[in-house]
Amino acid sequence: MPPTSPDVPGRFLVSKGILRIDRFMTAAIRLGGLGIIIAVFGIFVFIVSQVLPLFRGAKVEETSAIPFAAGKAPLVFGIDEWAELPFYYEGGSEVTFVDATGAKPPQTLPLTLPGGAQVTAASYISADQLVVVGTADGQVGTFTVSYDAEFGDSGKRSIVPSVTIGEFYPVGTSGGSIRSVGYGDSGDSKVAAAVQESGGKLEVHAVLLRQKRSLMGSGKLTKEGAYDLTPLLTGAPLQLRVPRTGDSVLVTTAEGVVDYIFLGGDAPEKRQEFKPFGEGRKIGSIDLVFGDVSLVLTDDLGEMSIFSLLVPEGGEQRVFVKTKTLPNLAGPASFFARSQRNKLFLTGSGAQVSLRHSTTEQVRWEKTVGFEVKGAVIDAKCASFALLDSDGNLHRYSLDDPHPEAGWKAYFGKVWYEGATKPDYTWQSTSGTDDFEPKLSLRPLIHGTLKGTFWALFFAVPIALLAAVYTAQFLRVEVKRVVKPMMEIMASLPSVVLGFLAALWLAPIIESRVPSVFLTFAGVPLTAAVVGVAWSRLPAQHRARLRPGMEWVAFIPIMLVAAWIFWSLGPVLESWICVVRDASGNPVTDPATGRTVMDFRAWWPQATGTPFEQRNSLVVGIMMGFAVIPVIFTIAEDALSNVPASLTAASAALGASRWQTLRKVVLPIASSGIFSALMIGLGRAVGETMIVVMATGNTPVMDWNLFNGMRTLSANIATELPEAPVHSTLYRTLFLGALVLFALTFLLNTAAELLRHRLREKYKLV
Amino acid sequence: MTVTESNGATAAAKPAIEVNGVDFCYGSKKALSDIHLTIAPRQVTAFIGPSGCGKSTLLRCFNRMNDMVHGARVTKGEILVEGVNIYEPRLEVIDLRRRVGMVFQKSNPFPDSIYENIAYGLRLAGERNKKVLDEAVEQSLTAAALWDETKDRLHESAFGMSGGQQQRLCIARAVAVKPDIILMDEPCSALDPIATLRIEELIHHLKQDFTIVIVTHNMQQATRCADRTAFFYLGEMVEEGPTTKIFSTPEKQRTEDYISGRFG
Repeated sequence: MPPTSPDVPGRFLVSKGILRIDRFMTAAIRLGGLGIIIAVFGIFVFIVSQVLPLFRGAKVEETSAIPFAAGKAPLVFGIDEWAELPFYYEGGSEVTFVDATGAKPPQTLPLTLPGGAQVTAASYISADQLVVVGTADGQVGTFTVSYDAEFGDSGKRSIVPSVTIGEFYPVGTSGGSIRSVGYGDSGDSKVAAAVQESGGKLEVHAVLLRQKRSLMGSGKLTKEGAYDLTPLLTGAPLQLRVPRTGDSVLVTTAEGVVDYIFLGGDAPEKRQEFKPFGEGRKIGSIDLVFGDVSLVLTDDLGEMSIFSLLVPEGGEQRVFVKTKTLPNLAGPASFFARSQRNKLFLTGSGAQVSLRHSTTEQVRWEKTVGFEVKGAVIDAKCASFALLDSDGNLHRYSLDDPHPEAGWKAYFGKVWYEGATKPDYTWQSTSGTDDFEPKLSLRPLIHGTLKGTFWALFFAVPIALLAAVYTAQFLRVEVKRVVKPMMEIMASLPSVVLGFLAALWLAPIIESRVPSVFLTFAGVPLTAAVVGVAWSRLPAQHRARLRPGMEWVAFIPIMLVAAWIFWSLGPVLESWICVVRDASGNPVTDPATGRTVMDFRAWWPQATGTPFEQRNSLVVGIMMGFAVIPVIFTIAEDALSNVPASLTAASAALGASRWQTLRKVVLPIASSGIFSALMIGLGRAVGETMIVVMATGNTPVMDWNLFNGMRTLSANIATELPEAPVHSTLYRTLFLGALVLFALTFLLNTAAELLRHRLREKYKLV
Repeated sequence: MTVTESNGATAAAKPAIEVNGVDFCYGSKKALSDIHLTIAPRQVTAFIGPSGCGKSTLLRCFNRMNDMVHGARVTKGEILVEGVNIYEPRLEVIDLRRRVGMVFQKSNPFPDSIYENIAYGLRLAGERNKKVLDEAVEQSLTAAALWDETKDRLHESAFGMSGGQQQRLCIARAVAVKPDIILMDEPCSALDPIATLRIEELIHHLKQDFTIVIVTHNMQQATRCADRTAFFYLGEMVEEGPTTKIFSTPEKQRTEDYISGRFG
């Protein structure tokens, strides 16, 4: 308190108590305001921090390089899931394990091959920890390299490797040395295939095995057939791949052709031969990414393409179609390793190492290392990988790339997903299998949000605004005093109740009475207009029987009767138009009654080729519109009522009709307020969740069809949150959805505020 | 002033407004009882009286502005404007208001340009011809003695004008639709003396073409600009007559008491 001069009389001094309260309130209000700003900003920062990792590349660092197979020639090598005990196999009768930490010397485990065969080819299926070997005497077999974690008394983990030999099958001509092997195991059907040298020529042979399954566990493995695939090939075989689907063999030939041979039928059948890189180009490498339906192919110059197995439009069988092109490598891929968790793969040529993702076509990380890479392997957790150089050293790298499937293209671009006939915007975040390719396009959700909002506002805005105008400018005050609070109570209805009503009560009614709904929505306003015009043509003495503002007494019964008539006319209209036809175009008759079937539900898809769903936009539009109407009504009504009476009186005194006063004076002045009402209604519709969750069917489709469902951003968050593990890609993607929603409303509100400001400036009353 | 002369010259003409035994109620409250009054054309008639005496209520009956007030109605008698009963059901209130214009207590220009304010009434009537509108705007502003001040800024906002100018704009706006009668409800109560004086001059000027009824609290204003004056008290019309007579030799004691400032 400032010192007061002694000559100020005491009665002019403000008491200390009042000053204290004043100061306290000032501080409290300031604190509250600041708190709100910080809170909102904090939420924003949190959401952004959750979203940002999605757009980061892979983090890769070399952790160590260990002498691994110096002076040896390993056919295959692999690694355990902790990346501590890599092994290599030279083709002999032992598997060597090297402790990557250097704490223990290398150890070997014996491997007894049947008949002491000599291994000439091998490949490693990391997902199954399976080594597939081909022998010099024409046998194909497998052995498993498995790791167990054991915890000693000290609680320290030690990894105990073991090697289990599997079954061996003779493939092709006996005695022919095997050049390369492939093995695919889908559980109940297995394919083992080999390129075999026979009489100076290369042949391809395959064996199809079936595992009978019963309640008692896996049954006996039976050999379905052994096939010589050489006659089916386009040329001399180079490389051989067998997908995990266990039903086919892929062979590249010296002519640059890939032959896709299907074994699932009665006899081997060449489904497809294709030249991935055009005339004269050779195939450098062929590999399968996780899921085994996409091929990564490089040509002899390093050009990289992805071919996926899909049923093309008009086709009947699944064939390989080029879906993606990735940046070129320095040359044909000399090594390839794939992740066992997602569609990441590690490839490269010579000293170039590149980590790529097949869905998004992205290069997640790339580096030229200081050695020539002989082989690569990614661990089971996709947390590290190892590269083998030509000197037999193993270079270990840590790999941190939790969200490789994310990125701008994945979220907002068209992506050609595996199995799809064309690039598309798709949302399908989860599925039943592990090798599923997440489809994370936000476009269908944004589309759904806009669609739901559009239909809701389409329904709500005319009703709410006209009701507000009528209530504010025409209705008598005593009626308005009842109507206004009623509408405000309507605004407080929980949306879960509305959603419940929409899904269980409204949707079935609308489904069975679509023509009635349309006729009523078209007919009642039309009747209102006609009756209104007729009313205004009535001589003044008849109109004067109802006082101005009481016309609704006459109108409401007319409207109710009109609504009833139009509703009842619906089935009549339906029986005129909606003739359901069968495939040959003849009307379908109901076998029970013998009458022609007239049904809108069945007729709509036939007539327009677009689906008709029970949970559709019409239901949502009506119910969400119902939720939005009171909001728009209340605010717009306030804006209209707040137009100074002096101006409406001035207009009336100049001989304006009520409508002229409304149009020329009231609406312009109230325009900014009405605009606010619309924007708040829009905001409510954009963010509305429960009604949409319950009444839309939640199908992330992209069309404007009134009779199809949708999925909105908000409903998506609500439905998928329980399926999203913390910090997973889906979890962060849901946050991204929230951020998009936030940005959407922010943009809309900012634009609206600017426009509103201009309107207010234009019609300000000073 | 030539009040008495003009009074004598036009007294014989057909009355502009006749009020025959009118009772008026706001809900159950009686605001006017048994008013009998004749207003001569091309004259200024002033309604005076203390607050709440019913003078504004009667004025607002003449163009049926009371219709907008909840529960307000004429319960007895009739009001004839140029011989037509304005409370007849057949009558279009819009037509009535085109013939009986009004200027309010507080100036109420629309949030628009000066030009559009004047053109408003004509546009309501469906006038679209730019030339006709331009002419009417100039005429009305000239009639309201506002043309010289505003001719260079016709398309600027009316809110840029002073209070007195705004009120004259409202008069010009009423004049523009060429009514027969202009009702003024305390048009100067919110204005300073100089602006008031200009309005009074304007009223004096306008009476050549219009019948003017003015409600005022200011007795000097009534003496300055009215040909005839009616004194209202507690919902009754106490006395009506030529202004000079009312203010010099009123017939009723209550009039005498009021004009001499004993109450009110």
